[in-house]
Amino acid sequence: MTALGVLGGALQAVLVVVGSPLLVGLMRQVRARMEGRAGAGVGQPWRDLRKLLGKQPITPRGTSELFRVAPVLLVAMTLVVAVVAPFVSTASALPPVADLIVVVALLAHGTVVLALAGLDTGTAFGGMGASRETTILALVEPTALMAIFALSVPVGSTALPAIVGSGLQDPARVLSPASLLAAVALLLVVVAETGRLPVDNPSTHLELTMVHEAMVLEYAGPDLALVELGSAMRLSVYLGLLANLFLPWGIATEAGVLALALGVLALVVKVAVLGAALAFAEVFLAKVRLFRVPELLAGSFLLALLAVTAAYFPA
Amino acid sequence: MVTLLAFAPILVPALGAVVHLLLGWRRATTWVGTGSAALVAVAAVLLAGQAVRAGDGVVVAGFLLVDPLSAYMLVVIGAVAVLAALATPAHLAAEIAAGRADERSAARHVVLVQAFLAAMALAVLAADLGVLWVAVEATTIVTAFLVGQRRTRTAVEAAWKYVVICSAGIALALLGIVLLNFAALHTGTGAGLGWVELTAAAGRLDPGVTRIAVVLLVLGFGAKAGLAPLHAWLPDAHSQAPAPVSALMSGVLLSVAFYAILRIKVVSDLALGPGFARGLLLAAALASLAVAASLLLHQRDHKRMLAYSSIEHMGLLALGAAVGGVAATAAVLLHVLGHGLVKSALFLGAGRLLQTTGTSRIDGVRGLATDQPLLAGCLAAGMLALVGFPPFSLFASELGIARAGFGSGVAVVGWATALALVLVVVIAAALVNHTSRMLLGDPPDAPGTATAPPRLPRSTATALVAGPVAAAALGLTAGPLAPLLTAAARTVGGAP
Amino acid sequence: MTAALYHQLLDLTAGALLLTAVLVVWRRDLAMIIRIFAVQGVALAALVGVLAAHEGSVELAVVALGVLVLRAGVLPALLRRALAAAGDDRRETRPLVNVAASLLAAAALTLLALAVSAPIVELAPSPTTRAAPIGVAVVLIGFFVLVTRRRALSQLVGFLLMDNGITAVGFLVTSGIGLVVEVGVALDVLLVVLVLGILTGRMREVFGGTDLDELRELHD
Repeated sequence: MTALGVLGGALQAVLVVVGSPLLVGLMRQVRARMEGRAGAGVGQPWRDLRKLLGKQPITPRGTSELFRVAPVLLVAMTLVVAVVAPFVSTASALPPVADLIVVVALLAHGTVVLALAGLDTGTAFGGMGASRETTILALVEPTALMAIFALSVPVGSTALPAIVGSGLQDPARVLSPASLLAAVALLLVVVAETGRLPVDNPSTHLELTMVHEAMVLEYAGPDLALVELGSAMRLSVYLGLLANLFLPWGIATEAGVLALALGVLALVVKVAVLGAALAFAEVFLAKVRLFRVPELLAGSFLLALLAVTAAYFPA
Repeated sequence: MVTLLAFAPILVPALGAVVHLLLGWRRATTWVGTGSAALVAVAAVLLAGQAVRAGDGVVVAGFLLVDPLSAYMLVVIGAVAVLAALATPAHLAAEIAAGRADERSAARHVVLVQAFLAAMALAVLAADLGVLWVAVEATTIVTAFLVGQRRTRTAVEAAWKYVVICSAGIALALLGIVLLNFAALHTGTGAGLGWVELTAAAGRLDPGVTRIAVVLLVLGFGAKAGLAPLHAWLPDAHSQAPAPVSALMSGVLLSVAFYAILRIKVVSDLALGPGFARGLLLAAALASLAVAASLLLHQRDHKRMLAYSSIEHMGLLALGAAVGGVAATAAVLLHVLGHGLVKSALFLGAGRLLQTTGTSRIDGVRGLATDQPLLAGCLAAGMLALVGFPPFSLFASELGIARAGFGSGVAVVGWATALALVLVVVIAAALVNHTSRMLLGDPPDAPGTATAPPRLPRSTATALVAGPVAAAALGLTAGPLAPLLTAAARTVGGAP
Repeated sequence: MTAALYHQLLDLTAGALLLTAVLVVWRRDLAMIIRIFAVQGVALAALVGVLAAHEGSVELAVVALGVLVLRAGVLPALLRRALAAAGDDRRETRPLVNVAASLLAAAALTLLALAVSAPIVELAPSPTTRAAPIGVAVVLIGFFVLVTRRRALSQLVGFLLMDNGITAVGFLVTSGIGLVVEVGVALDVLLVVLVLGILTGRMREVFGGTDLDELRELHD
C-alpha cells in the first residue's frame, strides 16, 4: 500500500460518487439536445437524489431484509471498485483486489444483488426484470472474461495496474487488433451491464421492454436514491475502466499534486467524452427485442474470442 | 508449326464466335460451328501426332503445353464437339419452329458454344495451373448462360445452382493453387505453377502445405467434374441445358475438369506418395457411384437419368485414377473418350426425344421402337454401350480399370473396386430397365399423336449413329490411337 | 517503414478483414451488408498496399489500386444495383442457421482455420504468413454464409467473401501468383458476379422474388 495508492484511492472514491450523477446528467443533456429538447441540465440527477433522500423510507409489505440491504450493497461494492481500480493513479490502494477478474466479479455482483431484491418483492415486474437481467448477465459474463483474457495475455497478468501500466509503456499495443477487438467486445459488455441502448432503455417504464427499471420498480425514497446512485456509479466505473484499459494516457504514475490533478482531469475528460459519445450514439439506436439480445452478445463474444486468438499471434 | 497448331484449337472457335457475333444466326452461318469443331478435331489429331513423335511436352508461347495427355484430351474435345455441332443446326431450327427461340437467342447460343469450346481447349492446353483455373472458370461463366437460356423457372434454378456450386468449388481450388504456389516457391528451385517445373520440383514440396492444397484442389475441380460431395448441380444443369450443350457438358466438360485432377495427382504422388491422392479419389469415387446408384433406381426423368449416369462414369474415372499406374490410366483415358462419344450421342437423342414428344419424363415415352425406330435404335445402342456391353470401348475400359484395381496389390483398392463393381451392376440394371420401358411396348394412342412424328434430320442422325459406332470401333481396336493412349498414360501414370 | 509499424499495419488490416467478415454474418440488412463488404474491399486493398510499401514494389502498388477499384468500387456498386432492383424486400430474414448460432459457428471456423493452416506458418515463419490463417478464416466464413443464407444477394456476398479471403491469402503467402493469373482471376470474379446478377434479375422475373427457398422445382 503506497501513499500514491491511498491518495489516489480516496480521490477516486470522491470523484466517482460526486461525478457519476453528473455523468448521467451530462448524457441525458446530450441526448436531449440531440433530440431538440432543452434538457433539464447536468445537475438534475443530483437534485433528484437530494429530493429522494429527503423522503420517508418505505418498503413494500412482505419484503425481507434483502430488499433493504440491496441498495447499500450495490453502492458499497461499486465503491470498492472505485477505490481500488486504477482510475487516477496506476498504484492501487489494495493491490490484490485490483485484479480485472475481481473487479468484474464485484460489478456483476451488484447486478445479482439487485436481481435478488427484484425477486424478493414477489411482484410480476420484479421477477420479470430479474429474470431478464440475469439472462443478459449470463450471456455477458463469458464475453467479459474472454476480453479480459485477451488483455491479460500480452501482459501476463490480470492485475489492472499492470495492464494499464503496460499500455502506458507500449502505446503500440493499444492499436493492436487484439486490443481493438477486446475494446469493442468490452464496450458491448458495458452497454449490456449498465442497461443502455440497444440492450435496455434506461428512460422507459414500458412493461414489455424495461429490464433494469422493472427490477427496481418497488424502490422509493432514500433506497431509490441509493439504487440510482449505485447505477450511476457502475456506469462511470465501467466507462472509466474502458477508458484506462485502452487509452491510459494522463493517468498519474507518481505521487504529486500536479500529477494527481492531471490524472483527475484526464479521467474526467475521458469519461465525459465516452459518456457523451455513448449518449450521442444512443440517439440513433432503437432497443433490440429481448430475443435479439443473445445475437448481439454472441457477436461480442465472437469479437472477444477473436481478440484472444489475435493476442496469441506474436506480431 | 507446333505453335500454329497449338493455338488453332483456341483461336478457331474464338473466330467462330466472332463470326456469329457479327453475322448472327442465318443460313450462311449455319455450318460455321460445325466447321470450327471439325477444325479443332483436325488440329487435335495433328497435334497428337506431333506429341507422340516428340514424346515429351513442348511449351508453346510460354503458357501452352503440348504433351501426349493434353493432345489426347484435345482429341476427345474435338470428337465430341463435332458430334454436338452436327446436331446443333437441326436442334436450333426445331426450337425456332416451336417458338421457344428466335434468331437472336440462336445466335447467342452458337456464340457461347464457340466460346465454350475455346475455353475448354485452353484448359487442356494450359501449361500452368493458374491458366487452367482461369479457363475452367470461364467455362462455368459461358455455360451458365447456356443452361439458363430458356428462362423458365427450372432453367433459372438450374443455372443458379450451377454457377454457385461450381464457382464456390472452383474458388476452393483457387485457394489450393495459391497454397501450392507458396509451397513451390519454397522449394528453392524457382518453380511456379507450370506443370513441367512443378512436376520436376514436386519431390521437394513441403508435405504439410501440399496436403492442404491437394485436398482443396481435388475438392474444387471435383465439384466441376461432378464428383460427390459437390455434385448437386450436375443433374439439374445437364437436364435443363439445350441438348447439344448437355452433350458437350456431359461428354467433355466433366472430363476436362477431371483432367485437372489427373495432373494434380501426378504432383501429389511425387510430393506425398501415392497413398494420399488415392484415399481422396477412392472416397470421391465410391461416394459418386453410391449417389448415382441410389438416385437412378427410381429416376423418372430421362435427361436426369443420363446426368446421373455421368456422375457414375466420373466415379469410375476417379476409381481408375486412384488405382494409378500406366494400365489403369490408359483405361481411364480410353473411358473418357468412349463415354464422351456415347453420352453426347445419347444426350442429343434425348434432346430430340424431348422436342418430338414434349416431355422428359420416362413414363411419358412409350413404344419408341415402333414410333421412331432410328432414334430408338441409336438410344438402345448408346445405352448398351453406356452400361458396358461389348463390343463398345466402355466395356474394354471398365474391364481395364477393374483388372488394374484387383491387381494393384493394395487391399483397400481391391475392396473398393469390388464395391464399385456391385454399384455399377445396380446402375446398369436401373438404366436398362428405364430405357426398355421407353423403347418397348405399344405407342400411346393419345389424340394428336396419330400423325407421323417428324423425320430425324440427317445431320442429327449422323451424329446419333456416329457416336456409338465410333465407340464400338474403339472397342474392337484402338488403332492409330494406341500409341497416343500409351504415351498419355505414361505422362500421368509414370512408373507404376 | 519500420518493422514494428509494418507488423502493426499488417495486423490491423488483416484484423479488419476478419472483422468485416464477422459483421457480414451478424447483420441482416442487405444494404448494410453491402456497405460492410465495401469496407472489406478497402481493408484488402490496404493490406496489399502495406505489402507494396514494405517491398517497395510499384507493380504491387498498382495491383493494390486495382483491388481497391474492383472490390471497394465496382463489385459493391454491382451489388447495390441488384439490391435496388430487388424492391422493398431488403433483409435477410430467415437464414438457415440463426444469427447467434452463425456467430458461434464463425468463431469455431476461425479456430479451425488457425488449426488447419498451421503448416503454412511453419513452412516460412514471417509476419505475412502468420496473418495468412486470417485469410483462410475469411474463406471459411464466406463459405458458411454461402451455404446458410437464403437470399440470392447474401449468397453472392458469401461467394465474394471467399474470394476476398483467397486473394488475401494469395498476397500474404506469395505476393500474388503472376500477373496473367491475377488478371484472369479478377476478370472471372467480375464475370461471375455479373452472371449471378443477371440470374437474380431473371429469378425475379419468373419467381417474383430472390428468396432461394423458391428454388424447389428440380429434385429427385
